[in-house]
Amino acid sequence: MGEDNNNSTTDKNGSKSSFFPSRRQIRRTFNNIKITVICGFVTILVLRGYVGFNLATPEADAITQNLADKTNRILTEIRNDYNEPDENPNTTVNSTTLGPKISNWDEQRKEFLNQNPNFPNFVNGKPRILLVTGSSPDPCVNPIGDHYLLKFTKNKIDYCRLHGIEIVYNMAYLDKQFSGYWSKLPLIRSLMLAHPQVEFIWWMDSDALFTDMVFEIPVLKYKDHNMVIHGFPDLFEKRSWIALNTGSFLLRNCQWSLDLLDAWAPMGPNGTVRNEAGKVLTSTLYDRPDFEADDQSALIYLLTSPVIGEKWMEKVFMENSYYLHGYWVQLVDRYEEMIEKYKPGYGDDRWPFVTHFVGCKPCGSYGGYSAERCLKNMERAFNFADNQVIKLYGFRHLGLLSPKIRRIKNEL
Amino acid sequence: MLERCLGHRRLHKIKRIIRQSKLTVICLVLTFVVLRSNIGAGKFGTPQQDFDEIRDHFYSGRRVEPRRVLEEAQVLTTATADVESGGSVGKVGSSEENNYSTIDISKILVDEGEDEKSDPSKPYSLGPKIHDWDEQRAEWLKTNPNFSNFLGPNKPKVLLVTGSSPKPCENPVGDHYLLKSIKNKIDYCRLHGIEIFYNMALLDAEMAGFWAKLPLIRKLLLSHPEIEFLWWMDSDAMFTDMAFEVPWERYKDHNFVMHGWNEMVYDQKNWIGLNTGSFLLRNCQWSLDILDAWAPMGPKGKVREEAGKILTKALKDRPVFEADDQSAMVYLLATQKDSWGEKVYLESSYYLHGYWGILVDRYEEMIENYHPGLGDHRWPLVTHFVGCKPCGKFGDYPVERCLKQMDRAFNFGDNQILQMYGFTHKSLASRRVKKVRNDTNNPLEVRDELGLLHPSFKAVKLPSAS
Repeated sequence: MGEDNNNSTTDKNGSKSSFFPSRRQIRRTFNNIKITVICGFVTILVLRGYVGFNLATPEADAITQNLADKTNRILTEIRNDYNEPDENPNTTVNSTTLGPKISNWDEQRKEFLNQNPNFPNFVNGKPRILLVTGSSPDPCVNPIGDHYLLKFTKNKIDYCRLHGIEIVYNMAYLDKQFSGYWSKLPLIRSLMLAHPQVEFIWWMDSDALFTDMVFEIPVLKYKDHNMVIHGFPDLFEKRSWIALNTGSFLLRNCQWSLDLLDAWAPMGPNGTVRNEAGKVLTSTLYDRPDFEADDQSALIYLLTSPVIGEKWMEKVFMENSYYLHGYWVQLVDRYEEMIEKYKPGYGDDRWPFVTHFVGCKPCGSYGGYSAERCLKNMERAFNFADNQVIKLYGFRHLGLLSPKIRRIKNEL
Repeated sequence: MLERCLGHRRLHKIKRIIRQSKLTVICLVLTFVVLRSNIGAGKFGTPQQDFDEIRDHFYSGRRVEPRRVLEEAQVLTTATADVESGGSVGKVGSSEENNYSTIDISKILVDEGEDEKSDPSKPYSLGPKIHDWDEQRAEWLKTNPNFSNFLGPNKPKVLLVTGSSPKPCENPVGDHYLLKSIKNKIDYCRLHGIEIFYNMALLDAEMAGFWAKLPLIRKLLLSHPEIEFLWWMDSDAMFTDMAFEVPWERYKDHNFVMHGWNEMVYDQKNWIGLNTGSFLLRNCQWSLDILDAWAPMGPKGKVREEAGKILTKALKDRPVFEADDQSAMVYLLATQKDSWGEKVYLESSYYLHGYWGILVDRYEEMIENYHPGLGDHRWPLVTHFVGCKPCGKFGDYPVERCLKQMDRAFNFGDNQILQMYGFTHKSLASRRVKKVRNDTNNPLEVRDELGLLHPSFKAVKLPSAS
């Protein structure tokens, strides 16, 4: 009697009745395993292909991480570069003047102009103006800051091209003593002395932009003055620290201006001098908060000083009939109203010449106002001005917040 | 129990059906999973989204944002020279809403509006065809004598055109390098009496990317008849020779000047036989015609893709990608030499475009052995950072090398400007400057070494004596 090869018997109910599984059961199990293995294999393939089964960070994150690492490395190098010791530490440490005293600049300049008729100080009847602006050589703490510096620079290029003005964009600290907002003083002096053919130096902050592309500065009005600055007589009487604004002003290239710069400079040098001066300014000027001496307060202090202030003020024109400097908070919400009611060319309340984003500081981490409000309005102001430029080519922005443009008149 | 309900045979049948349908069900599920990862299943999302969600859930706060990296750099002095008025000093640093690092600019910009849809049946055109531009222009110049197209006997009026996107760069330091690049161009152009037009607008959505310069150039040529030459320059190109003046008289019989080599374009049909990153185009009818001949490969989409294939096949060494303006120009010149070749000047005696790879490591050697004003391999006029793409996330070269070398090139050029005022960078890698000349009280006796303070090419044409 031959034994059953399967070594198992199953009764009618199909339940196991022996130690070894039946052939059918083996086959069934084998089939199940086959299916499981195949499915498992395919699942792994699919998951790996589309989701990324390696537990390392997925592609996009890896790239961002990589970029961040590299940016980090570059920034570390930049920071180290800044901490390099000065090679000549005793150049300007004890000096409070901006350079050797010059007393005959008007004569020197006149001689130059006589000998160089190809470099006149008046071109086409207009005095030669040099617009000076600048920013830090380091990348902004916040990248959006650099983007707006770029846009505002484009804005200045546009205005100056339309009006025949040259631009100097400074990115160097010429004098370590005069850092931050004081850096404009040694810069203006250097430029005046190097370019005698320039009649007016126009300093403009990097956070100010032109919003009236048609308006031209009425230079004839200032033929008897050497400095044109935006200010308010009533605040000036009160000795308010915001009576004048040094974010946008004109300075004639002459001896008087060199003397003014020398008289202005003493509160500037970094360190104890500036801090102490800050205290003096806070106690003397109306409503000034407590912080180190800034160039604006120092100028107001100088020009409002009894006796000498009056002497200086003889040649200073305090302008407020147009916005040589326009405080942005009062202007930006009215752009749509202006577009509806007025047109470019007024330069004043109806269509501001310059909109100045004081206090926004998009290059740093924190400003004095809401970041969103600042950026939104900087974009609006930029497009408000840009519309006036691209209109010449038959285009305008879709909206004041939109980078897109559309055609407004058919091609010729 | 079930057995008692349904009966023995039935249960058997059901079990068999279940067994057989197991396979079907598994396959169905698999199909669904595959389809989902490929196409997505609407609100059920894709596996990538799942992963993101899971990641966000567990790792929120630890993900690296490129923006936050820059926050660490403490600005040691107030970066911008602005002063507050309006009493905002007290508020600094207080509220979170004043913090710039949390702002996402894309939420502020309104990217509304549909792109103008062009008629697909009509072939692309840059604008209405003009046939008599030379006459129109001559007429205009006659009626507007104040706007001369020449500033001097050999000095035509030139407009340098460059540009970038109106949206912030993807790379956080990209905008900073764009800013340095424009400052560099401002410096060169101020010294040489050239005007600048910085474009930030996309005039024609169909010609996006590197083709955007064509509609822009045409528009500017037509709007400014007083311009004699238009100088297009890429945003990633920098001037490294501030003293070199382009030899305008050399091109009096030509209308289009590009850096390149005749053999490489006409004989070899090499796609880098010329470079359209920096070129001069005369304002005349011929230029309008060549722009029209150049444009057809540009419109984005199918046209550009197909054109790309043609170009890869026709040109030597060209990789496979959509049509770009440079390859299209090589193709145009190589295939239609008789029409255009006569008025095209391929300049190789100085670096109207200088490939950065072969120049940047030699700056120190140049400083030692040569001087500005040469414009060629000894002291390149332009160093062009092709392939670096500092504004985007991906370039063709390592990010660090590109940015470091851009800094060096910038300083190399900037030193020539600073020397006018008696300063120089501490080293080619350093952003700090040092004095190299003592101040005097006779500043006008000082002559800057390069003669850039009052250069001859800047001299104003004197009115003729009456």
